[in-house]
Amino acid sequence: MQEILTKFLDTVEQTPALLQLDGALRYVFPLLALVILIRCGKSLLMFRREPEVWAWLAGPTGDRIPVMHWESLIGRGKGCDVTLEYPTISRTHAVLTRYDDGSWTIMDAGSTGGVFVNGKQQSLSVVRFGDVLSFGGVEFTLVPITQEQERIQAEARTRRAVVRPWLTLLLLTLFQMLACAQLCVHLPEDAEAILSGFLALIAVEWGLFALLRLAKRRSFDVETVAFFLTTMGLCVVSTSAPDSIRKELIAVVCGIFAYLAVSWSLRDLERAKKIRYLAAAGGILLLAANLLLGVEKFGAKNWMQFGGVSFQPSELVKICFVFAGASTLQRLMAKRNLILFIGYSAAICGCLALMNDFGTAIISFVTFLIIAFLRSGNFATIALACAGTGFAGVLALQFKPYAMKRFSAWGHVWENAATTGYSQTRALMCIASGGLFGLGAGKGWLHHVGAADTDLVFALVSEEWGLLLAVLCVAAIVILAAFVVRSLPQGRSCFYAIGAASAVTIYVVQAMLNVFGTTDILPLTGVTFPFVSNGGSSMICVWGLLAFIKAADTRQNASFAIRLPGRKEAAA
Amino acid sequence: MKQISKRAWMAMALAIALLAGLLIFVGSYFVNAKDWVTFPGSPHVYTGVNPDCGRIYDRSGMLLLNTDDGRVYSTDETVRRSTMHLLGDRDGYISAPLLKTYASKMFGFDVVNGLYTDEPGSVAARLTISAAVQSAAQQALSGYRGTIGVYNYKTGELLCAVTSPSYDPDNVPDVANDTTGSYEGVYVNRFFDASYTPGSIFKLVTAAAALETIPDVQSRTFQCDGKTIIGGQEIICNGVHGSLDLAGALAHSCNVAFGELAAELGAETLQDYAEKLGLTGSFSCEGYTVASGKIDLSQADDGDVAWAGIGQYTDQVSAPAFLRYMGAIANGGQAAEPYLMQRVRKGDDITYEAKTVLSDAVLKPETADTLTKLMRNNVQSVYGDWQFGGLSVCAKSGTAEREGQTANAMFAGFALDSSCPVAFVVFVENGGSGSAVAAPMAAKVLQTCAQVLSAEAAAK
Repeated sequence: MQEILTKFLDTVEQTPALLQLDGALRYVFPLLALVILIRCGKSLLMFRREPEVWAWLAGPTGDRIPVMHWESLIGRGKGCDVTLEYPTISRTHAVLTRYDDGSWTIMDAGSTGGVFVNGKQQSLSVVRFGDVLSFGGVEFTLVPITQEQERIQAEARTRRAVVRPWLTLLLLTLFQMLACAQLCVHLPEDAEAILSGFLALIAVEWGLFALLRLAKRRSFDVETVAFFLTTMGLCVVSTSAPDSIRKELIAVVCGIFAYLAVSWSLRDLERAKKIRYLAAAGGILLLAANLLLGVEKFGAKNWMQFGGVSFQPSELVKICFVFAGASTLQRLMAKRNLILFIGYSAAICGCLALMNDFGTAIISFVTFLIIAFLRSGNFATIALACAGTGFAGVLALQFKPYAMKRFSAWGHVWENAATTGYSQTRALMCIASGGLFGLGAGKGWLHHVGAADTDLVFALVSEEWGLLLAVLCVAAIVILAAFVVRSLPQGRSCFYAIGAASAVTIYVVQAMLNVFGTTDILPLTGVTFPFVSNGGSSMICVWGLLAFIKAADTRQNASFAIRLPGRKEAAA
Repeated sequence: MKQISKRAWMAMALAIALLAGLLIFVGSYFVNAKDWVTFPGSPHVYTGVNPDCGRIYDRSGMLLLNTDDGRVYSTDETVRRSTMHLLGDRDGYISAPLLKTYASKMFGFDVVNGLYTDEPGSVAARLTISAAVQSAAQQALSGYRGTIGVYNYKTGELLCAVTSPSYDPDNVPDVANDTTGSYEGVYVNRFFDASYTPGSIFKLVTAAAALETIPDVQSRTFQCDGKTIIGGQEIICNGVHGSLDLAGALAHSCNVAFGELAAELGAETLQDYAEKLGLTGSFSCEGYTVASGKIDLSQADDGDVAWAGIGQYTDQVSAPAFLRYMGAIANGGQAAEPYLMQRVRKGDDITYEAKTVLSDAVLKPETADTLTKLMRNNVQSVYGDWQFGGLSVCAKSGTAEREGQTANAMFAGFALDSSCPVAFVVFVENGGSGSAVAAPMAAKVLQTCAQVLSAEAAAK
């Protein structure tokens, strides 16, 4: 490999035309990235929103109402999934739930008229097809959908799959090869490490693609977006810390394993519900261990060391947090209070504050707000939580002069350019130096500034690859958020919906704090940009969180986190 | 499910906030990026405190500084030494306001490409400075602290703005541990950043005021007995001059005559003239804030005014201000503002081209004419025309007394020749006699100027 590399570098050096090409490449990168993201965006946001029908409710007048989710709220209210306009039916009357094995239950959601199954009042009962359900005196029968209907439905849902995922991935591979070539030419001393890093990444992404194809999953758009961002991450590491390329790649591989593992655990809702408790407990334990055994780095005690490996438990806790926050509709309607979850969130945020990890604490808090709102729809609870946290935050700042100092520089970075505003002013100078198309891979200066490849990574990408590409990285995150929001109405379970929404919220908030902190729109809090910032634990975490997004992806044969109809079912 | 998926729009709201914030930032990028890039310390423009953008040439096309890859100074040791205070050093001890001022014209910044350039070395700045004159001045000042400034009074081009001591930026001495005193104040650019007690060269100010406000001053006779008492203070002269007219008084630098003239003008008039001639306060020149001059007669009695009129008392002038005054006399009462940057070229584009800016008339043309004659007489009758080769030099020397120290040697004036229309100042700290020490330095520098300018004319 070294021989080929040396030959390549020599050829480039001796061919002036190739050096001119090098200048032209700066326009190629954002263009390629744009095409890749447009293709991913098209398949993520333009898919036909054909609902899945799982059963019918046959009403008294012979009409058939489709049941389109695994968890359906039944009632008179407009917000219900199955709206039944009968005066005797309560606004939110019952929750009809389908399980992985195809069985159904009905639960009374505190209705006035009560829920009767085959004439017997029930608060929670198994329902079989053909059973007569009575809500407030109105009778319905649960009717299964036929194989034929199922086939037609599947066909309808696949009709407009026009974007070929392998072509998008091929474009990404082209992007990676060009980026790698430019990095090698500009940083010849690290060329070998860079080349092997990129080759490994290309192998990993095609490996995952093949694996998912083998598992009959045809969509790869969410993954391609993640791999695009990961590529930018590898570019960043190549300039700022070439010695860490190997570590970063190991983290990517671990992250993909985490992604597959979380996906697997989410495929079976019953399994997911059990793992939820494990994850919640695990999160708290991790933080407690961190508090006791942690090591302080850069002013925050959020590192743990095992042998030669150091990692940040607070990153992994994010996955646990999303697990803990997710909940099924049945559970939500049965236990409407949030106290347990508020307590859990407070414990997590408290630990993070004690560790001085303000960035993660803020992310957890915003995620908590989103989860609390998703679960309750109640602004009052959230306002209360905000007020309480604001108060605690002010107190914490009073006692932490270090954090206070960061806040004091906010909005005044140019007046304190040499002191508290040093990082942000250098970041802005370097963003401006790079212009829209960048100074070229490896031509940046910002990596000399501390934490440039993590907290200031938006500026580092801007400097070398251009503001356009940095903006596209943010756009990639926004595409994922839009995808989640767009696919939730077809969602099966609230568990997945909450999981996906909170996972994507974590991405968005991290991107927000990172970009706005770097550009002095918000105080610099030291938060990583998902997939792009250098950091093993954070890489594993964001890949793990991707599984939650995929679990809400109910497009036909799209997601590894969603089980295809088993052979047994197909045979039946 | 419907409720939850509706509520999930909160996540989208955050994403929209992210986009909105990003949009605001991109907007502010388009408005402010240029300021961000030029801000001192901007890593792709500055090395330490000094901007590195392109190549800097002297007026004859000699490369003084190449910043394409780090700072590479001239190959000539004396040129490096004599131009370092204008170009700045590598370590940030000596800053280069000149380069900072033109940085935005010099580096290839635009909001689309940032600082990216596919042809490094395409930016070239040409200074008005002549490396040859600069080196001659540096060598003339060798062993002394002080400054020499020369500029074209017709155009404003500064041919020389040298400060001494200096050092070779490629061979930096251990300034902090130096015990010989030869690097005392080495970080100061004495041309721009120092002001000096003018001594007798200030008599040119008193003379100007007298010529314009005392009608019969040219027909007057002054009597010098070596000393006199004005306002209770004894004014001592450098000789016993006997009976003198104004020309004689100026040529012999008679303190008695000028003390009496100053006292007659009065504090207010003298002060007004110092201000009108641009010698008080500060002004900015090519990014430098020129050291403040001071002629403050608000508390002065007659004796103080007399001392002030002969350039002592609390008088302070800066080299650029006095040089500009010399230019005003030479140019018929209207000074050309001095400048250092001739032209900035970026690829094929000229991004900056200097223009001559004339000041308001500070002297009546006839006053300027009379002063010119008087100063020409000084050279012919006292300093010796032989010193200046073939140039018709008009000048005034000064020996500025300093308490407990050797006097500062001062010499200021201009050449009348149309082939070498330059004004000059030579300020030598502790140099002693102005005519003995500073005048020969001026002569050497003027000779080099004449050579450089005639070579330029020949090339055209």
